[in-house]
Amino acid sequence: MTSAALAAFGAAAGLLGALLGIGGGILIVPALSELLGVPFRHAVAASLVVIIASSSASSAAYVDRGAANIRVGVVLELATVAGSLLGSAVAGVAPVRVLKILFAAVALYAATMLWVRRHAGSDSAEAGAEAVHGWLPGLSASAVAGAISGLLGVGGGLFKMPAMTLAMGMPFKVAAATSNFMIGVTAAAGAYVYFARGELDPQLAAPLVVGVFAGSLLGSTLLPRLPARRLQGAFAVILVFLGGRMAWLAALGGS
Amino acid sequence: MNRLVSRALWAGTLTGVGLCAAATLAHLAGQGEVAARLARLGVLALFVTPPLRLAVTAGAFWREGSRRHATAAFVVLLLLLGAAATAAFGTQASERALAPAVRERTP
Repeated sequence: MTSAALAAFGAAAGLLGALLGIGGGILIVPALSELLGVPFRHAVAASLVVIIASSSASSAAYVDRGAANIRVGVVLELATVAGSLLGSAVAGVAPVRVLKILFAAVALYAATMLWVRRHAGSDSAEAGAEAVHGWLPGLSASAVAGAISGLLGVGGGLFKMPAMTLAMGMPFKVAAATSNFMIGVTAAAGAYVYFARGELDPQLAAPLVVGVFAGSLLGSTLLPRLPARRLQGAFAVILVFLGGRMAWLAALGGS
Repeated sequence: MNRLVSRALWAGTLTGVGLCAAATLAHLAGQGEVAARLARLGVLALFVTPPLRLAVTAGAFWREGSRRHATAAFVVLLLLLGAAATAAFGTQASERALAPAVRERTP
């Protein structure tokens, strides 16, 4: 596949990700591995590099606006990075078939969360105003999110968010910005491990990074003008299809 | 602190994305070798961004007197640097291991 096609694909993933409020990994990994025939671990590694770029850019904006709680972020990062190092190490020895079935389960979970979130309310609290508690569930969920990020090349925000909002008492927008703040560091820890195993191809990752970056910028501009909630519902159906297909093929014995 | 952290993130991201864009353009122009080198540099710049952000964050917390948060950021930085060092040495070792096979095939 040419660089132009990969960049265009990345742009589509970045655009959708920005419109739906999800990371690109949940789209990039199945599309690269199932549709374009890239080996699963190489797809995961490329996705992690893309996540570093997109998370760093968006969290720069969040931090500048004071939307992210950096104090909470650096503490939870202890758990996400440890989880990511463990997850990416396990991914090197786990059978690809098992990884694909796990990815399908995560995709179905993401689809459910997107479907539920269509009707969720929003808030406008600023970072720092909330009294944070429930550190144990927060750290545990962060470790799980980090492990899933390292195993499957996704951001893991969907796994941290329930703990950060429900157990730690953080407002939704602050939790989302703080989660985003942590994702780049978490993805980097995993990406280093894949790089050490020789599973990271910079020439596969580079056009994807450019595409996702451009697509995210376009998506954040278009966001106020598009029916994002309806898109979330449609995308949930696509994720069910992609996840279901991946699980079905893995269960049949393909890798 | 926020401004400092944000600037570190932007600097790393824009350098990385810029190099990746140059690699993509070089590939499209048929400059395969240049494209490969630029892509590697782009990924390297993105790899450096999170540790840079952590170093800036740890320093800022330390100056503010928030020692606990500075320590947390510093520990995460150490974990990342440890993983990065392992990656660098692991890659060198695997390249050394591959080198004889590559030399044998090279006329």
